[in-house]
Amino acid sequence: MLKLDNVHKSFGKLVAVNGVSLEIKPGEVFGLLGPNGAGKTTTVNMAVGLLEPDQGTVSINSNLSPLEPATRRKIGVAPQALALYGELTGHENLTFYGKLQGLTGKKLNERVDWALDFVQLKDRQKDRVDTYSGGMQRRLNLAVAVLQDPQLLLLDEPTVGVDPQSRNAIFDNIESLRGKGRAILYTTHYMEEAQRLCDHVGIMDQGKLLALDTVDGLITSYGGKDIIIAELESGEVKIETNDPVAELEKLQKQGKLLRFRLERSNLENVFLSLTGRQLRD
Amino acid sequence: MREIIALARKDLKLLLRDKTGAFFVFFFPLIFAVFFGVIFSGGGGGTSAIPVALIDEDSTEASRAFAEILINSGELEILKTDRATAEDLVRRGKQTAFIVLPDCFGQRRENVFYGDAAIIEIGLDPSRKAEAAMLQGLLTGHYMKGFMTMFTDPTAARDQMQTGLDQIRELTGDDREQFVDLERFLVKLDTAFAELITAEKDSAAIDSMKTQSAETGWQPIKFAVSEVTLQRDGPKNSFEVSFPQALIWAMIGCAAAFGISLVVERTHGTLVRLRVMPIKLSQILAGKGLACFGAIVVVGTMLFVIFTIFFNVQAGSILFFIMALASSAICFVGIMMLLSVLGKTEASAGGIGWAALLIMAMLGGGMIPLFVMPSWIRGFSSISPVKWAVLALEGAVWRGFTLEMMLQHCGILVGIGVILFIIGARVFKSTAH
Repeated sequence: MLKLDNVHKSFGKLVAVNGVSLEIKPGEVFGLLGPNGAGKTTTVNMAVGLLEPDQGTVSINSNLSPLEPATRRKIGVAPQALALYGELTGHENLTFYGKLQGLTGKKLNERVDWALDFVQLKDRQKDRVDTYSGGMQRRLNLAVAVLQDPQLLLLDEPTVGVDPQSRNAIFDNIESLRGKGRAILYTTHYMEEAQRLCDHVGIMDQGKLLALDTVDGLITSYGGKDIIIAELESGEVKIETNDPVAELEKLQKQGKLLRFRLERSNLENVFLSLTGRQLRD
Repeated sequence: MREIIALARKDLKLLLRDKTGAFFVFFFPLIFAVFFGVIFSGGGGGTSAIPVALIDEDSTEASRAFAEILINSGELEILKTDRATAEDLVRRGKQTAFIVLPDCFGQRRENVFYGDAAIIEIGLDPSRKAEAAMLQGLLTGHYMKGFMTMFTDPTAARDQMQTGLDQIRELTGDDREQFVDLERFLVKLDTAFAELITAEKDSAAIDSMKTQSAETGWQPIKFAVSEVTLQRDGPKNSFEVSFPQALIWAMIGCAAAFGISLVVERTHGTLVRLRVMPIKLSQILAGKGLACFGAIVVVGTMLFVIFTIFFNVQAGSILFFIMALASSAICFVGIMMLLSVLGKTEASAGGIGWAALLIMAMLGGGMIPLFVMPSWIRGFSSISPVKWAVLALEGAVWRGFTLEMMLQHCGILVGIGVILFIIGARVFKSTAH
């Protein structure tokens, strides 16, 4: 669906994206995980045709360029900045963007109703957007992205500043879209989100894609061992292991185990292992 | 095109919902123009009376009495003069019309029941159809008031009728035959007035008589309307000076509002979303330009209607006014485009934009009329697009521009607009990332 092949982008002396390659298939959520300034948004902007790569290629459906307006009809984008008109109502925002997508008449009304229903904002559709909570505005931002029923969705940090209730609603929306076979590129700097939602994750830092695999694959390859912190009769011990169950069984048989705590390896460890820094540094 | 219209509609909707923006686009220009119009007119004690020149060629007691009625009516602002002067004043727009009470006016007025009706000549520009009708109505009303005065005094009415009867009775042969019916009627009327005098002026009877008179189609007065084509060589009132300035301020308000709105699109992220839509950047900018153009035309039309109805401002040529408004709107769309790239934030764009517009307005006659500026400033003012817009609008309203002059000024405005739009659009495109 979306393929980036060795794309580079610089702004003056700043190298924003340096040789990134990735591919997203229909029905897949691809997470681009990295700290702020890693180059995630620049990558998304190239994927959607807002920026032209200095080098490398971006293609949609094998051979279409996102620089062409007609190709962009197949792409839905939820930008990181809330791209909504606060003085207009939710319904007016969707109707306006729908017209720009080429929707008209009955089809436009149907899609607007569907999108409002999808993000659970039907009861607030006639209120001005500047009266919405941050979470509601994020959900409307997503509704605009899915309005024309695109095959590819680019969601740039879609949960920034969102309350837990709206965040869960957005997760449900994304999982629903994946179930319908949509390809989704999801950028975030929250590893929990990537771990929960993404089929594949690319770890990005300083413009480079450092690793790309499934969540489990990344943890296995770069996350290091799980840690058991066990309280024994003789005192507390820390045991690093690839098989915590077997290790705990062994301690239990020895009759020395009073209680224990397990620290599983995660994407934070993966990032630490790859960059030497914490993800939120 | 559908996308461009959708973009323009969205921007107009946003403008209408922004109370501050709407104030500067519509109400501020109106307040400005009314304020300066009143100041230039010499204070707020003006009158709504129609300025009319009066020529009394009859110079009888009756014509002088009728002139007095008109002067005291308060509905007409009368200037007594001779015919040549009156025609000149009307031609130059200093007086709306002239009224002539010709020879025999007084005599015919006194011959109420026989002979030819009195004639009043009216001279005015053929385009002033409404004023012509209004004047005829007012003059008929005042003329009839004289009769009502007479009828409410039955003794005077009896004297008038007796004079008429005497004149009929002096006739002989066929001439006399023609007036037999009138003679019978006047005798009966005389009897009725005699009873009225006895009944000490029965008002109900007089009302009945008034109704009968109206039903017979009797015509006591005729109007001879002559055309005096208006020759426009100066504003006929102060509002014709402040009206173009109102339009300039409306255009400035629109240019600032839409220019800043483009900056807002950029800072609030909506521009990013617009650019990922299946439309081109040129369509986005065209939509903004169309919204600005539409707002200027709508506000300009509304101000024109208001100033025409309430402040007696009239375009010498409606076509020229449309040309001036449209070309000025194009010019200000270009200015709007350039303003949108002057600042990176709303505050800086607003500050720089308003400063630039104020300088343009000061130099171009948007604040002080061009014709009261010193000549060296007038020469310098040519660099301001506002000057060309003011001149084009004044040309259409009171300067009496020819088509060639209008085309020249409108061409300059369109040229400035197109050049500024292209420059602004190119800078905008290069900085859009």
